[in-house]
Parts: sequence; C-alpha cells; structure tokens
Amino acid sequence: MTGKKKGKLTKVLDYLKHEDPFSKGVAFCPGCGLELLLRFIPQVLGNDIVITGTPSCSAPVLLGQNNQSWHTLSYFGTLMTGAAANATGLARYYRKAGIKNTVVCFNGDGTAADIGFGNLSGAAERNEPFIYICYDNEGYMNTGVQKSATTPYGASTTTTPFGTASKGKNLRRMNLALKMAMHKIPYAATATLSDLGDLAKKLLKAKEAKERGFAFLHVFAPCTTGWGYAPENTIEVCRRAVKTNYFPLWEAINGKIRMTKTVKKPKPVSTYTELMKKFAHLNEADLQILQDDVDYEYCMLGGLSTLEAECHIPESVED
Amino acid sequence: MSPNKFFKHEGPWSDANDPLMCSDTGDWRTKRPVVDKDTCIFCGFCAIYCPIQVMEMVENSHFTPDLAFCKGCGICAKECPKNAISMIAEGDF
Repeated sequence: MTGKKKGKLTKVLDYLKHEDPFSKGVAFCPGCGLELLLRFIPQVLGNDIVITGTPSCSAPVLLGQNNQSWHTLSYFGTLMTGAAANATGLARYYRKAGIKNTVVCFNGDGTAADIGFGNLSGAAERNEPFIYICYDNEGYMNTGVQKSATTPYGASTTTTPFGTASKGKNLRRMNLALKMAMHKIPYAATATLSDLGDLAKKLLKAKEAKERGFAFLHVFAPCTTGWGYAPENTIEVCRRAVKTNYFPLWEAINGKIRMTKTVKKPKPVSTYTELMKKFAHLNEADLQILQDDVDYEYCMLGGLSTLEAECHIPESVED
Repeated sequence: MSPNKFFKHEGPWSDANDPLMCSDTGDWRTKRPVVDKDTCIFCGFCAIYCPIQVMEMVENSHFTPDLAFCKGCGICAKECPKNAISMIAEGDF
C-alpha cells in the first residue's frame, strides 16, 4: 500500500447513511438503471419509508413472490389508474394517526405520464404530503417495449416499429416534469443516475418539501433491454443525455424553475442516439427534428427560469 | 437488516418477516470484473454506480466485487476513472 497515489473518496458515499434493505440477488436485468435507483432511495431517505407502486418492472421485486419478499421495506401494491390516489390515502392516514414517516409513490412513466396522470395531477393540485417518484425509461418496458407519452420522437418501439409504414414514434415526447412544475407544487425536479450527488440532494429536498405538500421527482433511468444498448453503458447514456441537453437537470420550488446543472457547450444529440438501437434507423432529417425538439425544450426551460427570476413568485398557501 | 416497520403483516404474499428471497445472480455473469489493486485510487465510483451495490471496501485501499451476486454488467469497469477494473470472460477462470 505504501507510496500508492490515493484519490478522494466520492462524496456520494456520505449520502448513503442507511443500510440497503434489499437482498443481494434481485431479479433485475444486469445493468438495470431502475435497480440502482431503487437501492439508492432507501439508503438516502432511510428504511422507514412506505413505498406504494404499480405493476411495472419494479413490482415483481417490490411486491415479492410466493409469500416471500425481496426487501424489508413496507410496500403497498396498487393499480396503475389509482397510484397517486392510493398514496394520498396512505399519507392522510399517517398524518391523521400522528405517525411520522415518508410515503413514496414509485412509478414508471407509463403510470405517471399516461395511465395514472389524472390522479397524479389531482394529488398535486390538492397538495397531498407525499413524494412521487417517476422513473422514466421512456416506454412500457415491462410489458414488451410499447411507446408511452415520454417516448422521444423517432424511437422504435413495438407499437411504433421501424418499417415501411412507420418510422418510429411520429410525435415529440411530452415534458412531464415541466407539467408537474406548472402545478406550482412545493417541489418538482428532474434527476438522473450519472449525477448521484445531485439525485441525493434532490431526494432530501423532496423529503423536506413533503412537509409542505406534494413533491415530484422525475428520474431518467435507462433500460438496457428495451433501448438496445450494452449493459455497461447505463451511466454513460445518462451522462450523454445531460451533456446533450436531451435531459436537462433542474428543480422548481413553488413553480419557480432553477437549472441545477448548465452545460456550457452542449453536444449534438447524435452523440446520445448513437449509443442505442432504438434510434439506429434515424436519418439526418429525423435527427434534426429530434435535435430541434431538444433545443426547443431547453430554450423554453431557460426562458422560463430567466423570466421567473425577475418575477416575485407568491409562496404556496399551506392547507 | 431493520425489519419492516409499518405493516405487521403484508397480506397473502411477500411477508418480510420470513427470510428474504435471494437469487443466485452471480450465476448470470459472462464476464468477471477483476480489480487491479495498485491502479485503484480508492475513489469509490465503482461502488456508487454498481446497480447491485456489491462493491465492497477493503481496508481503505481498494474495492472488490462480491462475486456471489455480481451480474457482470460491466458498469464498474466503464466508470472507473483509472481503468483499474477489467472484464475477463468467465471461461478463463
């Protein structure tokens, strides 16, 4: 050991204050972004959280099989149409009973953006005191890679395949996190797995904001099977998504948007799309549409954050 | 591990008071991460990015994977800033 050049131990390890409640061998694909996120959340927030979730890739592990469990967290399984309504009930029960804990509604983008969006919006509007985490893998990966509202333009899925009649998804993706920030909830943020320090900070901020009401986190979690990239590239995909401004990192407190990471020289979106098979068929014109969409969204976010900086935003009234 | 705190019984399935389920995920591995102890600068990036969280600290000097559960995805080798981890095919062992 003598004379060895030592680096600094990463600060992210300081955020991992609690033990990992999951058993070691868990049935997720090798290189799964969801598994990293799922093990990360209780290590940061503590093991005294109640997770409620829906049928998705997370459900087989969170729900367990054959009267045994994969973890020691409290989990409540529910339907996709009523995920946020279910979390509302749990959060209200604990508030009424005077039990201090954190209810985490953990869903994929299919529930958050498509099927359960109605009651997500409703819970946000009522300012219910829980954390809603959407892990965004841009499609219904568990059921066989169908497209969802957050699937980007041109992506090939089983419902929007590449062929003679179809060239991948023909509509640009919707910006779920911005939509939630527009509810003017106490806390809304985007995060990704390449910047775990940022993710941990946002999780802790969400836990704090939950005392004032609804907190929403949109986490970009790539899917190695559905997107068609090598398992070792999971973190690289996240990193390039941030560096190309494909997935900008920001937070909104009471609707006021602030960029948490600004990229000085954003790279072209092709450096991101070249990594995976779902974009392999894109030609120059299609790539340009995707690039324009990325630029448009980033421009809109930047505009909002600079314009809002000049305005006085009223504090949300507590219920 | 701390026991499940809020639900005394979790319904007909998934009772966390029973022993936890655990798959033999080390069996899935096609490539094995091998850490070069001398090149390792003990930064901890492999440990935080490992989806299964199996990179274990050894005496404040380096990290080593728990091969009973490592799925061999290769994220640790890819994210290592010093390229101290190499992925070697299981057949070579």
